[in-house]
Amino acid sequence: MIRYYGGKILIFIVSIFVLSFLVFTVSRMAPGDPLVSYYGDRVEKMTPEEREHAENRLGLRDPILTQYQRFLEKSMQGDFGISYKYKRSATEVVLDRLPYTLVLGGVGFVLIFSLALLLGIVCAVHEDRLLDQIICKVGTVTSCIPEFWVSLMLILIFAVELKLLPSSGAHSLRVDTLSDRLLHLILPMTVVVLGHLWYYAYMIRNKILEEIRRDYVLLAKAKGLSKRKILYRHCVRNMIPSYLSLMAISVPHILGGTYIVETVFSFPGIGTLAYESARFHDYNLLMLLSLLSGMVVILGNMVAQIINERIDPRIQAKEAMHER
Amino acid sequence: MSLIEIKNLNVNYKTTRGEVHAVRGVNLSVAKGEVLAIVGESGCGKSALLKSVMGLMPANAVVTGQVSAFDRELVSLREKEWQGIRGKQISMLFQDPMTTLNPTMTIGSQIAEALLIHHPKMEKEKVRKRVYELLSLVGIKEPEVRAKQYPYQFSGGMRQRSVLAIAIANEPELLLADEPTTALDVTVQAQILGLLQEIQKKLNMTTILVSHDLRVVSSIADRVAVMYAGKIVEIGTRDEIFGDPKHPYTWGLLRSLPEYSQGKEMLFTIPGMPPDLRQDFVGDAFAPRNRYALQIDYEEEPPLFAVSDTHKAATWLLDERAPRVDFSAMDMVHEVSMEEHEHAPRNHGEDPEKPLVSINHLTKDFELPGKKKMTAVKDVSFSIMPGEIFGLVGESGSGKSTVARCIMNAYTDFEGEIFYDEIPLHDRMARRRERRRLSTERQMIFQDSASSLNGRMKISDIVTEPFRIRHEKPKRGSLKKEAAYQLSYVGMDEGYLNKHPGELSGGQRQRVAIARAVATDPKLLIADEPIAALDVSIQAQIINLFKHLQEEHGFSILFIAHDLAMVRFLCDRVGVMVDGEMVEMGETEEIFANPRHAYTKELLAAIPKIGKERP
Repeated sequence: MIRYYGGKILIFIVSIFVLSFLVFTVSRMAPGDPLVSYYGDRVEKMTPEEREHAENRLGLRDPILTQYQRFLEKSMQGDFGISYKYKRSATEVVLDRLPYTLVLGGVGFVLIFSLALLLGIVCAVHEDRLLDQIICKVGTVTSCIPEFWVSLMLILIFAVELKLLPSSGAHSLRVDTLSDRLLHLILPMTVVVLGHLWYYAYMIRNKILEEIRRDYVLLAKAKGLSKRKILYRHCVRNMIPSYLSLMAISVPHILGGTYIVETVFSFPGIGTLAYESARFHDYNLLMLLSLLSGMVVILGNMVAQIINERIDPRIQAKEAMHER
Repeated sequence: MSLIEIKNLNVNYKTTRGEVHAVRGVNLSVAKGEVLAIVGESGCGKSALLKSVMGLMPANAVVTGQVSAFDRELVSLREKEWQGIRGKQISMLFQDPMTTLNPTMTIGSQIAEALLIHHPKMEKEKVRKRVYELLSLVGIKEPEVRAKQYPYQFSGGMRQRSVLAIAIANEPELLLADEPTTALDVTVQAQILGLLQEIQKKLNMTTILVSHDLRVVSSIADRVAVMYAGKIVEIGTRDEIFGDPKHPYTWGLLRSLPEYSQGKEMLFTIPGMPPDLRQDFVGDAFAPRNRYALQIDYEEEPPLFAVSDTHKAATWLLDERAPRVDFSAMDMVHEVSMEEHEHAPRNHGEDPEKPLVSINHLTKDFELPGKKKMTAVKDVSFSIMPGEIFGLVGESGSGKSTVARCIMNAYTDFEGEIFYDEIPLHDRMARRRERRRLSTERQMIFQDSASSLNGRMKISDIVTEPFRIRHEKPKRGSLKKEAAYQLSYVGMDEGYLNKHPGELSGGQRQRVAIARAVATDPKLLIADEPIAALDVSIQAQIINLFKHLQEEHGFSILFIAHDLAMVRFLCDRVGVMVDGEMVEMGETEEIFANPRHAYTKELLAAIPKIGKERP
């Protein structure tokens, strides 16, 4: 047990290390001027001496490896440097923005998780009947449309034409009430959910149909169980571990979707922040955000793996079969 | 008094390829406490009959007729009403215990579920006690521990015991058993049958048992019904059916058991194959396979003629105008449907004293996740002489197939030595040098022909693939001619050349697999359970084919099987494997007459003995 989880933690640390090194070097080798994000338009009027001074101050003149070493030492102590653009500690900047993304992504994730389960079960129960066919067709179409296009269409319809919902931001200027914030959440949330919902719902539908055709369902029926009970007590139950692991893998996907949606809706989460920092070479902020996203991705995958390997007795069954 | 009365039951399936008449007008009545066995080959409708008694037919099936039991008419029951009967008054045992239990629930909770569904108010403590009681009733020791375990921690036999515990949880009046021992090893089969019999007596449960295995049926049934093409063609007490069968099909089934052909040249076979149930039959469905078919058999369906009060058979041969037929004369008629070919028994020019294959101290380990090791084969040594048929028997997991795969070099990381005609197969360089010869001269046939033949290839391509791979010109000129020749060699005509494996029956597919294997004139044929998945009458045909081909070609066969009677009939020498070790080896008759090892004795004792008298 200790070995198992120890191994996992080791893999986690190594992955994060490799990730940080890659992001660090690649971002520094990419063309562009990091000073722009620090000094803005003033950069164009700087003399070479001023430039050199500024770059020295930010430590950008040292070889990349030296810079990386410095970054490692500092970050171990929890110091991720300052954001060039915001002139504040990068950690603070991220912490300011994080709640927005957590709400958008987190609530979106929960919604996707439960709606997909519901939709999948509904479809499976009505297999090949009209309801199932309609949901399947509509679902396939919605999941095929790119997120940015859906966003634009929704903005066009609900914000521009009908003027029902706000088109951007997390709250209106000078207004900060809960209802206002919720109103601002509706459109981005819809896009996040629509983009992923059907993919998982369809997976659940097919998983349940697969389970229903297994032999143990016949035994359950022979015991005298009703169709409903067979569905919930046996089929859905057996499918949950693989669904959980699937959802754990989906965390990074949904996170990625959130980033795009945030950018389109100018939603002040870490998605927009990440985009800006990468575009304008705000190195310290970029590093912190990459590390955070990376951790979420790797953790999601690991949780999925652990669910698969430890919780589902069927996996142990396979191991046991090999032993005999 | 009869517990269940079936009248004119019909079951039709609607499929995309037409309507299947699975059960056609069956009448049956089973008395309280009686064990009725229904025998027949796959696709004769016996499973459909059983499932329709319990209302477990899929949605595309139409069931008509009457099934009356417990003062009710069952066929017209609605799903809700069924739920009160299933598991309480009628229970069912299924064929494959490996898949019938829910893999993610503990055994105990699955048994408890069967109790609670009919007694929702039962106290927890009582349920637990009853679960333990049921587990010990079906012979599972330490029920307190076992109840908390998952199905994967149980062996096949233990799982079937657990399914039995679920079935008898509410002491049903009627138990339906659908091939309950078919998927189990021979020795386990005997245990489960014994247990079933014991519990049936204890609870005085009326039982309907469906099986294709006459030996299973003969050991447990009071009465036997024989089904063919959806109809009951003969029914009677066990002694009547096994001692004095009246229907030529029953007679043929009994006769094709290898026990009756020991020492003979060939096994008795019923010609042809079970019919397709999508057609409308005119006359007797068995007529095309019946050597004694009369004109009227092709025109009018025979009624059930009463032989005695209990014994009935549906064949025109029992009509008083029909000629008297002595079935035992059939014994003499040996079907030689296969053409004689130009191959004379050949000697490959080697010394008959020198073994073709010799295996010295073969050991094969498998690495498991977590640095564990499983030894599948432990220090096995034996040899196969040229022209010899060597039988390898043992339970599933005893390492028989692993030995075969080592000889075929499907596994190369074994310890020990294997020589094939003095080529050291354990040496990589030698294998490479002799690659061409080895791939021609060693051929393998698998158990499941449905998955071992590529479903997207035509039969002609499958048979001639060895030539195409080697860019070799076949003996018969063109590939097409060669394919036709090889097919005729295994008793199939040219019409099959352009078909795909999916269009063939199991027996035909196995013939194709054999044709492919012998196309390259092999010296060694390895057959891994080649008949285990086939019907009784087809098994005999395939075994005859093996014998015929071996006599013509003179190749050696390593025959892996668990059907001891077949092994006894076919093989010259036998090796018995237990847990990866070869525990006994010798001349076939010697082993069967004087088994030495305890396991061999157990194995021989476990074969259910057929009826009391011979037909």
